[in-house]
Amino acid sequence: MSVDTVRQPGATTADPDLSMGLELLAAQNRARLIQSAKVGAVCVGLVALLAATLLQLRIDVPYAARHYGYVLQGVSTTLWVSLVSIFFATVLAVFGALGRLSRNSIAQGVSGLYVSVIRGTPLLVQLWLIYLGLPQIGTELIGLGFPRLGRLFILRAVQSGILALSLNYGAYMAEVFRAGIQSVGHGQREAAQSLGMTHWQMLRRVVLPQAIRVIIPDVGNNFIFMLKDSALVSVIGVLEITGRAGRLARRDSKVMEMLLVAAAAYWIMTIIASWLQSRLENRMARAYRH
Amino acid sequence: MIINVENLHKWFGPLHVLRGIDLTVAPQEVVVIIGRSGSGKSTLLRCLNFLEEPSAGTITIDGQTVSAGLRMRASLRTRAGRQRILALRLKTGMVFQEFNLFPHMTALENILEGLVTVKKIPKEQAVLIGEQCLAKVGLSDKRDEHPIRLSGGQKQRVAIARVLAMEPKVMMFDEPTSALDPELIGEVLDVMLQLAQEGTTMLVVTHEMGFAREVADRIIHIHEGQIAEVGPPKQILSNPEDKRTAAFLRTFTRFERGTS
Repeated sequence: MSVDTVRQPGATTADPDLSMGLELLAAQNRARLIQSAKVGAVCVGLVALLAATLLQLRIDVPYAARHYGYVLQGVSTTLWVSLVSIFFATVLAVFGALGRLSRNSIAQGVSGLYVSVIRGTPLLVQLWLIYLGLPQIGTELIGLGFPRLGRLFILRAVQSGILALSLNYGAYMAEVFRAGIQSVGHGQREAAQSLGMTHWQMLRRVVLPQAIRVIIPDVGNNFIFMLKDSALVSVIGVLEITGRAGRLARRDSKVMEMLLVAAAAYWIMTIIASWLQSRLENRMARAYRH
Repeated sequence: MIINVENLHKWFGPLHVLRGIDLTVAPQEVVVIIGRSGSGKSTLLRCLNFLEEPSAGTITIDGQTVSAGLRMRASLRTRAGRQRILALRLKTGMVFQEFNLFPHMTALENILEGLVTVKKIPKEQAVLIGEQCLAKVGLSDKRDEHPIRLSGGQKQRVAIARVLAMEPKVMMFDEPTSALDPELIGEVLDVMLQLAQEGTTMLVVTHEMGFAREVADRIIHIHEGQIAEVGPPKQILSNPEDKRTAAFLRTFTRFERGTS
């Protein structure tokens, strides 16, 4: 870093202690790099230790090498389920948040009940209710003479999975969105109202654009959680990463091998998604800091 | 009369903040409201554009009257009632102590927002109006800056331009310089002085007594929710008739030598 890049705009006098400041800065950066390298070395060492232990315990590496492709074919399904679910969850969350904040008693009641019930029951139970429970109602309806309506209740495994994940994440995200909307300063609303804006105009033009700062990182975080939670849909037979790993594991009794491959796949996806997320957040921060 | 307030009361729960205020503002008049914090002066202003819902009394702005009370509460639930309030708000413009500019918009976009979204003025026309108002407050070069890059005084001037663009019948200022560093107060007061000289109808809540002396047609002293004294600056500031006014003004000269 040259002396010129450090010169503050508007400073007309040279700083006699500039070189000392620069040296301190360089020393700090060096120390930071060394610390990072040390931590990195520890991580690599731990992974190597784990790998060595597993090899000693006769993990069947050739088997894993032959079959990891089959497991990785599930990545597209995992991504598809997660992306579609996070999309619907976001839509549900926006309506849920607005409903919770609404003066309309119906909107408040529906959204309040939705959030409470979903957050009060396990995701797995919700998944089974949708995949196994809804068809029960569906067949009842068909029997009662409503074939078209009844068939709507009978969903395939992937559809059930997406519905369950969307409903579940929508409820949790609704609460965060609500907090984000409420965090927009009271004065902003007053300024909008003084200009003569209606409630909806105020929401659309002033409040939501500012709430986005809280909403986007939350959607990103939840997508990363969703990537892992999507593994649950394997229990209803969807052949995504975990489903495929489990299938081979049961068939050939190679549980550790297959599940480690699955775990590694999720880990790498999470690392990539987290990196993309922090780049997005940096972009957003820069736009507001100029 | 642009503003006519009769017997205005406001309760916040059991707290009786405004106790029967009568107030008029004539066209092109500059009325300054002074008083202790907690005296109700901000609440009074906020009742006039219905940021606070008045508890009782009548407010008439530019010929349109609203009577506070239970009937008003009921009408707020109807679409027509709410639109009446919005129409009333368009007749007034409020400049806030905390500026309240929209941070995600540039200075010009802040000014355009009301014109395009509320008044449905086409964008090209709105931009012309906006640029004019920005020039009037001396900030044409900041049109594409976001509020975060502006000083307090600049932000407040943009806020004033934002209200000017809407062409309200009366401009209301709620302690416009109280949140500013001392060296930035002058630029805002200069703009307000210019507006007053051009005949803008203004209702100003402020602690800036020098400004009040120079610009006000009438000064109203509000004490504990009631009007203690009304009169021209010469009377209120130099020869107050009411003991409470004299006591209030003494707090301003505590650390000054000589008389104000």
